[in-house]
Parts: sequence; C-alpha cells; structure tokens
Amino acid sequence: MDVSRQTINSIEKERYTPSLPLAIALARFFDKQVEEVFHAGIG
Amino acid sequence: MQASGDTRRPFWRSRWWMPLFSLALGAAMFTAFAIGDDVRQGVFSFGVMAALAALFFFGGRSETLRGIGGPGRDERWASIDMRASVFAGLVLMTAVIGAWLWEVANSDDGEPYMQLGALSGVAYIIAVGILRWRS
Repeated sequence: MDVSRQTINSIEKERYTPSLPLAIALARFFDKQVEEVFHAGIG
Repeated sequence: MQASGDTRRPFWRSRWWMPLFSLALGAAMFTAFAIGDDVRQGVFSFGVMAALAALFFFGGRSETLRGIGGPGRDERWASIDMRASVFAGLVLMTAVIGAWLWEVANSDDGEPYMQLGALSGVAYIIAVGILRWRS
C-alpha cells in the first residue's frame, strides 16, 4: 500500500482521513467493503 | 485513481534526494559567496548544508526526517507538506506585505517588497487558474 506504519496508526486513531484509493486498498486488504471499514462521519 | 501495481518510487522519494538536494544547494551558496569574494562565508554555508545532508542521510528511522527527506513520504506526508507549505507561504506573504507597508510609511520606495508581493499575487492567480483548469 506504500504508506508508513505511522500513517496506518493515524488512520486507526481517526487523525488522518485516507484518500479514496488508499481506503479501497485497505478495505480490499481486509477483504471487506469500504463502508465496513470506514464511516463517513456525517449524519 | 492511480493504477495499482507500479511499485517504482520516484527519485524524490529515495533516501538520496534530500541529501543530494542539500549538497547542491550548499554548492550553489558556496559559488554565490565565492563570486561575491566571501569564500569564508561560502565554506561555512556549504558546511551547514553538508551537515543537513548528513542528518537526512543518516537520520535513521525518524519519521520527521524520513518524511521531509523523501523515503517516508506517503499521502499523509504529502498532505502535511502541503499544509506546512501553505502556512509558510502565508507567513512569508504577511511578512512581505508588512515590510512593504513599513517601508512606504517610512517614505522609502518599498523595494523589493513591492515586487515580491506582486510576484506572489501573480503566482497565486496563475496557480488558481491552472489548478482550476486541471480539476
């Protein structure tokens, strides 16, 4: 995925919102849909 | 979206980029001082830039050094870099405008701050135009 361990940590702590390609790559890594891994934070 | 599968890293993300850039800038500074007949200051400036290059090259696993230097630069670092650049630009533009106002208020001609302020304004407008056209 070509991102650092610190970036993954920031995503987990919701300090950094990943780009759409990275979000899709992360979801595919876990064999999940994007919306199962990430929430929009709205509504 | 970018195509996946291409794992080649651009040169500016290699561990050589920032050390070589620092050395090149140091060499340019030395040359400028040497042309201005101040070789001693040129050597000092080159030494500072060489030390900076060594810091980036041997910086180890520091995330900050790897992020600034290139090898640790991912999309989060690109975002950090862009926001930091915007902040630095705002500080610089504020300082230039403030210095220009100070110069004018003291009955000076405002140079070179007037030209620098105009340059930054024109650069901003051109950048907005290009970025809007490309997006």
